[in-house]
Amino acid sequence: MPDHKKTTKGGDEMFADTKKSFSSKQHKQSAPLNLKNIKARVDKIHIDGLSRTNQDIVKSQINELFKAQDFQDIIINSHNVRGKLESLGCFKNIGVYIDTSKGPNATPDGVEVTFTVHEFKRLMGNINTMVGNNEASLLIGAKAPNLFGRGERLQMDYSYGHKNSSNINISAVKPFFHDKLYKALTTSVYTTTADFPWSGYKENDMGFLLEFAFNANETDSFKHQIQYEAVVRDLTAVRQATFKVREQCGPTLKSCIRHICKVDKRDEHIFPSSGTLVQCTTELAGLGGNIGFVKNELAVQSNWSLHESLSLQLSAQTGFLRGINNDMKLSISDNFFLGGPLNLRGFDIRGCGPREEGYALGGNTYWAAALHAYTPLPFKPGKNSFGELFRLHGFVNAGNINNVSFKLGSNYEDHMKIFTENIRCAAGCGIAMKLGNIARVELNFCLPLKFLRTDIQQQIQLGLGIQYL
Amino acid sequence: MQNSTLLEPWDAGLGAQEPWPQPIHLYQPYEVEQILLPDNANCLAVQAYLKMCNLDFTIEPRWNAEFMSPSGRVPFIKCGAFVVPDFDNIVSFLNSKGTNLSESLSSEDKVNLRAFLSLVNNVLYNSELYVTWYHMDTYKTITKERHGSVYPWPLNHMLNWQKRNQVTKRLNILGYKNKKLDDVFEDVKKCCESLSERLEDKPYFFGNKPNELDALVFGHIFSIITTPLTNNVLGSIVRSYPTLIRHCRDIENSIFSPHAIGINSIMNS
Repeated sequence: MPDHKKTTKGGDEMFADTKKSFSSKQHKQSAPLNLKNIKARVDKIHIDGLSRTNQDIVKSQINELFKAQDFQDIIINSHNVRGKLESLGCFKNIGVYIDTSKGPNATPDGVEVTFTVHEFKRLMGNINTMVGNNEASLLIGAKAPNLFGRGERLQMDYSYGHKNSSNINISAVKPFFHDKLYKALTTSVYTTTADFPWSGYKENDMGFLLEFAFNANETDSFKHQIQYEAVVRDLTAVRQATFKVREQCGPTLKSCIRHICKVDKRDEHIFPSSGTLVQCTTELAGLGGNIGFVKNELAVQSNWSLHESLSLQLSAQTGFLRGINNDMKLSISDNFFLGGPLNLRGFDIRGCGPREEGYALGGNTYWAAALHAYTPLPFKPGKNSFGELFRLHGFVNAGNINNVSFKLGSNYEDHMKIFTENIRCAAGCGIAMKLGNIARVELNFCLPLKFLRTDIQQQIQLGLGIQYL
Repeated sequence: MQNSTLLEPWDAGLGAQEPWPQPIHLYQPYEVEQILLPDNANCLAVQAYLKMCNLDFTIEPRWNAEFMSPSGRVPFIKCGAFVVPDFDNIVSFLNSKGTNLSESLSSEDKVNLRAFLSLVNNVLYNSELYVTWYHMDTYKTITKERHGSVYPWPLNHMLNWQKRNQVTKRLNILGYKNKKLDDVFEDVKKCCESLSERLEDKPYFFGNKPNELDALVFGHIFSIITTPLTNNVLGSIVRSYPTLIRHCRDIENSIFSPHAIGINSIMNS
């Protein structure tokens, strides 16, 4: 990273300068020197390389640098500001230079900070391969970043998966940078085609999504997303599908609002060693359209590092779905499903829960919990390099899914049955690998411990996906 | 474990292994607010055929019957593990179960029967589609409202448009692209003429027992004369063939008790 080198170089120079002026004080102290003791103030900030980007959004990002009191502040703040400028999504790369301030207006402790930025081109294209939940796909995208100079962008993606799913998404994003917290408005239109052989239907979606996202604090760890979605979902049953699935066929319109609240204090996404993630999703459908329900989901994950080479992870998920009235329908694709190599391990995808003639129907209530113990590969080959991509893990996971009646007056104990009866449980071990810090691949050997006769078990599972239990 | 099998004509033999009789469920769109002329004709034909076979069935109206049907057309029947769509498939399915109304016919009559069946399916069914979807007045005032009645806004407009495109494509392939409404009526006239020539003053088309042709003709004729459309030409063409009307009334009286077909049993003559 040449930028960092330059920053440190600038710091050295600065340090040499100040050393002279504070020589008596410095002389008594032994090295290492504390940068905090070096007084400094930012006189000027230069930004080189702006052409399309509007000044006001850049200005609002760099203000905190002026608050620096000492040299350590300056280094930390310039690093933060660099990150903020990057997050504008307007610049390809950003260099930072720190120098003593010169000229008639220079103050004795003054420094000048220069950011050299390179803006993105008007139009960018990319071809990627992507891993989604148990599907690998080819992704072709085109992007017009920074359309009107304030970070607005237009994006088009097309993906084609190896399971015949296809996806087209066109979205326009408008971020707001004027105060400290990040806010963004996104609108997108999309069509997706997905195949669910475990349930015997194909789903064709055409939708519109409006999203407002904002951070509730400055460290990015507390995020809110408020979404409105209108989607036409067309379900087609496969030839042999059971009649209960066939009954669900036909196009329906779902119009819903959704709130996603996420607190992520983990140190990493895929193999965290400490920190907690809490994600809470609430969805209310039935604002027009003919699908109506309330859906709540909660996911928690906690990590502890017991030893340098042993970390524990406890995760739990639960969800409730209930219809709002008799006029509004519930579609099979709104239901919860349990099982799969990154879900409830030891069972096939959608392998647990209510089913008819071998086709999973899903349930309206579920819970699942997993306890993992991770260690690096034995003898630590490729330490600090490719070895970090792999972990061995042992796990125990359990869960249950069912249709619980939410009718008034129904028995409390009946509701609790989902935690006491027919629990599915499996234990196992395997190897996990992270892909590009967003997805993970797992190869597991599992031993189902508790299951029902109708469940579909799998002892050796290969799974790949973004979300995992 | 049972597997629903959708019957294609060539694998109808499979049905013989199923125990008989099974309760039969007939799935069709809602009669009062949703069903359209061509679908109504086919649904009535199947109902009539099942009644002629003395088979009990229950009608299950569904808003999405068309999408539930394996062939994308209504009606379809569910019988045990089998799901069988369309009039022709249903007839051959029941044949494979040993219920055959045209068994006793001579081979020459069987050929004629097939010819008349395909005449009705091609001419009457397509003409009904033409009037329902292609003729702008009818489409705007009746078809749009009825077809879209089970979907929420704006899905109703989208599906009306989609379905119209589908039907238009089908009719264009069948050569209806350059036909005027009058040409279509002319086709209907010819078809009715040959049907009434065949029928003469006999009670049924072949012999003294009703068979699938009687059921199919009944379904179409009954639907055409009872469905209100923007212009009544189609109805009056059919009414100008008294033998067909008489045949239709006879079948209605003999197999449907007076109010069995809901509002459709009010014959507006």
